[in-house]
Amino acid sequence: MSAWLAIARREWRTQFASPLAWTVLAAISALGAWLLLVGIESYVALAPRYADRPDGPGVTDLVVAPMLANLAALMVFVVPLLTMRAIVGERRDGTLPLLFAAGASGIQIAFGKFVGALGVPLVLLAILLAMPLSLAVGTDLDLGKVATGALGLLLLTAALSALGVLCSAYAQHPASAALAAMAAGLIGWIADGAARERGVTDGLLNWLALPTHLTAFMRGVVASVDVAYFLLLVVLCLGLAAMRLARLRELG
Amino acid sequence: MPKDSLIHAEGVARRHAAHVVVSNLTLDVPAGTALGLLGINGAGKSTLLRMLAGVLAPDSGRITIAGVDLHEDPRAARHLIGWLPERAPLYPELNVSETLVFAARLRGLSRAPAQLAVARAIERCDLGEVRQRLCANLSRGFAQRVGLAQAIVHEPPVLLLDEPTAGLDPLQAQRLHSLLAELKHGRAIVLSSHQLAEVQASCDCAAILHEGTLDAPLAVGDGAALRARFMARVLDRAA
Repeated sequence: MSAWLAIARREWRTQFASPLAWTVLAAISALGAWLLLVGIESYVALAPRYADRPDGPGVTDLVVAPMLANLAALMVFVVPLLTMRAIVGERRDGTLPLLFAAGASGIQIAFGKFVGALGVPLVLLAILLAMPLSLAVGTDLDLGKVATGALGLLLLTAALSALGVLCSAYAQHPASAALAAMAAGLIGWIADGAARERGVTDGLLNWLALPTHLTAFMRGVVASVDVAYFLLLVVLCLGLAAMRLARLRELG
Repeated sequence: MPKDSLIHAEGVARRHAAHVVVSNLTLDVPAGTALGLLGINGAGKSTLLRMLAGVLAPDSGRITIAGVDLHEDPRAARHLIGWLPERAPLYPELNVSETLVFAARLRGLSRAPAQLAVARAIERCDLGEVRQRLCANLSRGFAQRVGLAQAIVHEPPVLLLDEPTAGLDPLQAQRLHSLLAELKHGRAIVLSSHQLAEVQASCDCAAILHEGTLDAPLAVGDGAALRARFMARVLDRAA
């Protein structure tokens, strides 16, 4: 078995043994259910206005897409809580040298931690997606749009997890890793806020901002540039985390 | 390098800031030999063992494990090493079995061989009664034995043990010495300690590490000479 897979499996085991993971799962599931109910209530109020427009927004646009967009914003704060111990936890427990001694490289450790850190968020996404999908029992959902929205949310979660692993590699304490990852995620979320205020929508800051690349997914469009953006973020963060791990090994 | 040497270090040096921790050190440990690394606290024993384990890179010099260069092929070399640091590296949320399975899989063993290796390590280290106990709930003695079990689970030809009996009661220490005598066959063992008696009880020869330099090894049978040299080094440091 590859070292990264062994590390990822142990990370899953650790995450699902942690009360924090179950608390997050329960709290965010409840919040997701509430968002869905609020969305349905709004839809019931708005639906008559669009009843005579064949190209008007449907339940997917008015209920599912806003719910997924709200959950995406929530992930900026939730994912760092799940990744904060990824590497700094190993350092504090004195187990990081065990991974080095077993021949695991920095990139194997970083990638294993990243895959492991995705465990709880993936379960959370599955629960959250099951909620809007349950609407298919009583109405026609645009499953293509739901799928692209889910893909966008998945890519965002992957990027935030990689960012969390990176912050955990540099931090001295899990709480500071979580705060740093939340701050970085938040900056990424509002990076183009001022530009948008001034009506600029195609500048560098707009391109750097996370929501710019998420919006298209929520509209049912999968653009390769958006996929590449999130994958690049993952690669960049894991590369920097691997470099930090190599440095930690040198420092002993 | 001697032909039967499993551990070969040549010109190894390491500094921490301006302080020289290990200086131009040369060491050979053949198969079937347990070498005791004696030194007072801060002599550089742990630093040397971490370098031999491939956990810490030396500033200069070359280390080979069973002929494999630790710098040129670190992955292959590290698979030949079992390392027990001073504080056993255990995950508090895993039980003993899971810890050992993780250690085995980390070293590339697939499921069935890993299960066999874990069963063997548990038997050897006498961990049967605590195999389902969480590592967080282990006594110091058991934690140390689990640490040793994770170091030997992949049957490495080289064992590096950093003060393995620290914190153990005399009975537990005695058991560990017996286990080391059993493990010594065909392996090279380096054990660090600041206690002469421990080295005499578990090793064939001993070398004194003092201010980063290593004396030529002496047979532990020559207890008087070893004691005299060790005391001279301790007094030298005190002066």
